[in-house]
Amino acid sequence: MPLIILSSNSKEEEKEIAKKLLQVKGYGGVDPGILSEVEAKYHIDTGKLAETLEQTPSFFEKMMSGKWQYRLACIEAEVIERLMKDNTVCWGLAAHLYVVGISHALKVRIIHANQTRIENIVEQQGIPVQRAQKWLDTENQRRKKWSLAAFNRDETDPSEYDLVINLDQIDLNEAVLTINGAASYRKFQPITYSMKSLSDLALSAKVRTTLLKSMQDIRVQTIDGTVLVFTKAFKQKKIEKIKEIKDLAGKIEGVRGVEVHVTNNLFGDISGNANS
Amino acid sequence: MEEKKLKIMVIDDENIVGKRLKPALEKTGDIVETFEDGEKALARFNESPFDIVVTDIRMEKIDGIEILEQINAKSPHTKVIIITGYATVEVAREALSKGAFDFIAKPFKPGDLREIIKRASKELRA
Repeated sequence: MPLIILSSNSKEEEKEIAKKLLQVKGYGGVDPGILSEVEAKYHIDTGKLAETLEQTPSFFEKMMSGKWQYRLACIEAEVIERLMKDNTVCWGLAAHLYVVGISHALKVRIIHANQTRIENIVEQQGIPVQRAQKWLDTENQRRKKWSLAAFNRDETDPSEYDLVINLDQIDLNEAVLTINGAASYRKFQPITYSMKSLSDLALSAKVRTTLLKSMQDIRVQTIDGTVLVFTKAFKQKKIEKIKEIKDLAGKIEGVRGVEVHVTNNLFGDISGNANS
Repeated sequence: MEEKKLKIMVIDDENIVGKRLKPALEKTGDIVETFEDGEKALARFNESPFDIVVTDIRMEKIDGIEILEQINAKSPHTKVIIITGYATVEVAREALSKGAFDFIAKPFKPGDLREIIKRASKELRA
């Protein structure tokens, strides 16, 4: 059975739909509650993890510290591990941005029209329409910026999803029925290809988490257990870095082989940091 | 009682695929016929249906999705397994929608395919 991944600009309704889907389908749920388990496993404060899912660091902060990417990788690794089990509804963890290339993952975006959101903001915050409009524009930009910075995908782009439901037109119970119906399409059933892809994605996430603990600028792709790592290094440190990556990644269960592709860290070379 | 032997058809325009898969699949005692030409494979199927068809997608004269549709129309109980070196989410979903039993990306180990055939055979015998 498929994985159902929900994303929304209305968190309360996203949660309500998820809970109803769990009841209807008898699936397991993966929700922000797992952040406490990420905390236990990686020793990162839950509040910091929740903040990671919301706030984008500045360019300078990202350059100087890989902690944000590391925290994202820890969340991603934990979520994907849980998605290895079928029959799961996942929400509130940005999985729609990193569970990619999995044919049995049904990605659903639940939205309200901007006009409705503005009316809600006016009512909740007691501010004029113009200010509510501005607040909403900023909020939409913030989410777009975050998703691009975190996973290089724009979560506000409808083409990222298999199904987009407008709650102004389709009510909550109808939305549950619609998602349930779509999830029963044969095309969303797990197959050998999609299960292997998910297993490769899980291994990539584990490797990335391990490497980002002590390194920055790491991209990982796994093909049938063989891990490809893409990174940057100063010319003089290339061999050392390749060895370090192979040692760390090679120890992870399920890794059959490691290939490391290193490009020059031009910024470091030019600024004379090569020997630092 | 001895189980009935399965009739398995392998269609791939790369000669090496059939050559490698035939002995691997025959290990379980099943009958395997290989084809490089999809049209010839369909003609053979029309003469005598197979229980399981393993087909590549990208082939010159006729592609695997068309083979899948024709086989499903003629023999709905036949399990069609798609193998491809150009796997994408879209192609996998299309194949499943059109009735494929399973879909696997190349390269794969013969053991992976045997596992799928084992499941297909279980369904056929259920």
